[in-house]
Amino acid sequence: MSYLRQVQAIVWKDLLLEFRTKERLVAMGAFAVLSAVLFNYAVDRTAVRPQDIAAGLIWMTIVFGGLLGVGRTFHLEAQDGAFEGILMSPAPKDAVFLGKTLANFILLYVVSLLVVAVFMLFFGLELGASPAVLALVLCLGVLGFVSLGTLFAAVSSGTRMGETLLPILVFPLLVPMVIFGTGATGRLLASRPVAEVVGDIRMLGAFAVMALAAGALLFRFVVED
Amino acid sequence: MAAPDTAPPTLATEDVVLDAQGLVREYGPVVAVAGIDLTLGPGEFLTVFGPNGAGKSSLLGLLAGSMRPTLGRVSVRGQQLDFGDVSWRRRIGVLSHRGFLYHDLTVTENLRFFGRLFELTDLDRRIPERLAHVGLSDRAGFKVGQLSHGMKQRLALARALLHDPDLVLLDEPFTGLDPSAAAVLRKVLVGLKDGQRTVVMVTHNLGEGLALATRVAIQARGRFVWQGGRDEIDTDSFERFYHEAVEGRR
Repeated sequence: MSYLRQVQAIVWKDLLLEFRTKERLVAMGAFAVLSAVLFNYAVDRTAVRPQDIAAGLIWMTIVFGGLLGVGRTFHLEAQDGAFEGILMSPAPKDAVFLGKTLANFILLYVVSLLVVAVFMLFFGLELGASPAVLALVLCLGVLGFVSLGTLFAAVSSGTRMGETLLPILVFPLLVPMVIFGTGATGRLLASRPVAEVVGDIRMLGAFAVMALAAGALLFRFVVED
Repeated sequence: MAAPDTAPPTLATEDVVLDAQGLVREYGPVVAVAGIDLTLGPGEFLTVFGPNGAGKSSLLGLLAGSMRPTLGRVSVRGQQLDFGDVSWRRRIGVLSHRGFLYHDLTVTENLRFFGRLFELTDLDRRIPERLAHVGLSDRAGFKVGQLSHGMKQRLALARALLHDPDLVLLDEPFTGLDPSAAAVLRKVLVGLKDGQRTVVMVTHNLGEGLALATRVAIQARGRFVWQGGRDEIDTDSFERFYHEAVEGRR
């Protein structure tokens, strides 16, 4: 129970800070809306149907926008050496990782729902027959993404290249998430039967579990001396 | 003033709070801490003086468990600092010249957050007590970013003491404080000499360091070039003695 309370403390602190500063939510939300507007003008509707490419654009917007927020995970921690204070507490490093990942997940999941809503508006999409399943696909994809993003944000925050390094480290590892996330989202937006996306959902779930476990195991080696 | 003495005094095992043996810390070819032995009992307040680059902060980092020694070991109340099981961190409180505080959280929110990490269950009682102890009761609802530097240092001290640590480590706590803020902090630090806690403070400030110490060490080139009891020191001639010790003339 004490482990969960430590995780909860990290989540509470990160969300409260974000609520106060709105630094990352505003950046990610603005990026999502502006990307959808630009994609709307970039697509020649006489040559391609928007719904055929919307799923890919949605996931690319989530990835790029999410990186804006996840990349700044440790920015506020650097202020006044606060993260050092966390590391000097008896909280296990994996609890710290899970807390920060969960906070990032909540923020990015909200943004991903906004992304879908904005694309529906600009691309004239319909939600499909299974909005709950679409929400699950987004949930698993975002969880896998923030798990890797939080781990590598910790890596890159300790380097001179900082946020420039983060996409170079993370993007190659996101290929499975993009493939299965795009596949499932495209079919769900086209109102295809849920049975067609069960395989994709399983793969997204496996990706999320592996990313979360790898992050929890490796985080201590990133942040400890 | 006593002759140079690098041998720590002997304490009975049950009286030892901090025991560090053969501490060495290397950064590549640079040796920051070059073999330090240190044994402290309850109620002792050790001030470590030394010039820039003497390895004082590295020594404190090793005692705090924020960095691993290249060689040697540290125990607090008989529990060796082990990076797998970090329960010993409950026995240590650290105050650095950085506060480890979140400026967008309030004073109470900061203490509540760190209290939860230390698994403290009586925070509703503890937090007001600690704030009263450091004279910040009337600032409980203020964001840390709204506090003066002196108030932040006192809050950082409240954070470091929140979990009642046996060992308190202070890294240049007077840095950047004006005289009145330093006086307030000094008063709070004097309160640490309650016979229960053990304190190690590293500082450049000879006056503040001597005023608080029960034991004194001078660190240079990664090792203690002198250590002894506060009563062995003549305050008037200490500055000259310090410079001679640092320059290796003693």
